[in-house]
Amino acid sequence: MHKTKLQTIYFSLLVAFICVLLPWSGTALNLRPDFVLLVIIFWILRAPNKCNIGTAWFIGLWVDLATGGVFGQYALAYTVTTFVAVVYQRRLVLFSNTQQLVYVLLLLIISQLTLLTVKIFSGNDVLGWSYFLPSITGVILWQAAVALGLNTSRPSRSK
Amino acid sequence: MAGYHQNLDQQQAPAFFARGPSPLARLAFFSALSLALMATDSRLQYLGSVREQLMVVLQPLQLIANAPSMLYDSTSEYFSTHHRLLNENQFLRKQALIQAISLQKMNALALENTNLRELLAANQSLEEFSQLGEILHVGRDPFTKKIIVNRGSNQQVVDGAAVVDAKGVIGQVTRTYPASSEVTLITDKSLTIPIQIERNGLRAIAFGHGRDNTLDLPFLPANVDIKRGDQLITSGIDGVYPKGLAVATVTDIQISADSPFARIVCIPTGGIENHKQVLIVSISQPDSPANSGAATHPTGNANTAAKAATTTKPDATQTAASKVPANTTLVVAPVPAAADINQNKKPANPTPAVATEPSTANKPHAQD
Repeated sequence: MHKTKLQTIYFSLLVAFICVLLPWSGTALNLRPDFVLLVIIFWILRAPNKCNIGTAWFIGLWVDLATGGVFGQYALAYTVTTFVAVVYQRRLVLFSNTQQLVYVLLLLIISQLTLLTVKIFSGNDVLGWSYFLPSITGVILWQAAVALGLNTSRPSRSK
Repeated sequence: MAGYHQNLDQQQAPAFFARGPSPLARLAFFSALSLALMATDSRLQYLGSVREQLMVVLQPLQLIANAPSMLYDSTSEYFSTHHRLLNENQFLRKQALIQAISLQKMNALALENTNLRELLAANQSLEEFSQLGEILHVGRDPFTKKIIVNRGSNQQVVDGAAVVDAKGVIGQVTRTYPASSEVTLITDKSLTIPIQIERNGLRAIAFGHGRDNTLDLPFLPANVDIKRGDQLITSGIDGVYPKGLAVATVTDIQISADSPFARIVCIPTGGIENHKQVLIVSISQPDSPANSGAATHPTGNANTAAKAATTTKPDATQTAASKVPANTTLVVAPVPAAADINQNKKPANPTPAVATEPSTANKPHAQD
């Protein structure tokens, strides 16, 4: 039986968070996938008992701090996204890779839409379609991770 | 539901607490918490210090994240070619020479200006002190135009300080953390900057456009005397930005029949997005005790000491500016607007013939 260690989850979240902290600029900033959310989705699909909405909310707060925006924006976006992920978690793990990819794309877009809604309410401009590019790069990153052997379905092979 | 759930769940988890509260309950709880946080943070000022504390925790992580690019920078610097260094050296020498000449003139002019001002019993112009900072990274929020600079409240950077580089104004400090501060660029939608057209002295307020790196001059009538290529400089009446700094160049004027206002697009003069080093300059606040921050700072000391003999003052900022290559930025602290407002009372002069030179423009006013 497979068992995910809590440390692994927190370590991967930390690494993802450091990826966010990297000095991105220009086009790279516009393309930067949401590393933290991808890692959270991954762990929610794989170990929902260890990583859940609360974890997502908490790390969302740190992302809020790093982006310098109003506290709670990313936290809310991650909460909503992980809720959708958790609700459909059992179906998701049974999906094929391609189906999962579409689902992850949807989740990433949900997160961005939530964020966009909050931002628009606080008086920001709509940025145009390029705003959703990180979702696309996020899915590409997900596919790359899957190709490298990361697997959301509970492995039959023991680790 | 529970049975179904256990059949599928192959997780190794304690039987009790397999899933805890339902997802919906969690969603409601954490969403409410987020909304409460957002409301608190945007409407009330409680979370400012919390944010500062947490930034201290974030600092080491930030260092780790910046390490690769720093390492890259330093290694590429190490392996930079002899030829390039020689070229740069030559260029800097030339620049230093040019600046030394203008500095001599500047000293004489400053002395003359002080004497004249004393004669006319006019207000002394404000002084500034500067410190060099470096951009840590660009703001991560795609909705705003911000940069993070490696000088913070520990280095006496204050909220509201203006950020200027060797070419012009680039923004204003909007948030200070212990070891870093957040600078909102003038192209940000939420930032406005009082400007003056260099050619005719017309005053206006420039608004950041937000989406592309431009500034707008809204609410100016369609027949306003602004031409393409006009230079915008800071008017200095806000008490935040020192007077006469380059802000932007007018690039496009659109006048449409259905609007009483002209649409004027300007491109910032300063290197909004391509500089690494920044120079932080604060204007000392003549009559306010709040200025003690600047006075305690090493460079601030030198400068406030120089207040008595104002002639040395431009020296301090000028040498600081000439020490660093062209890509530098100044941060200038806010000053009470009152000091400068009197000198700028002159109504906007629409005749293009009058060339308002910042230092001479004040003279006639002081008399009335």
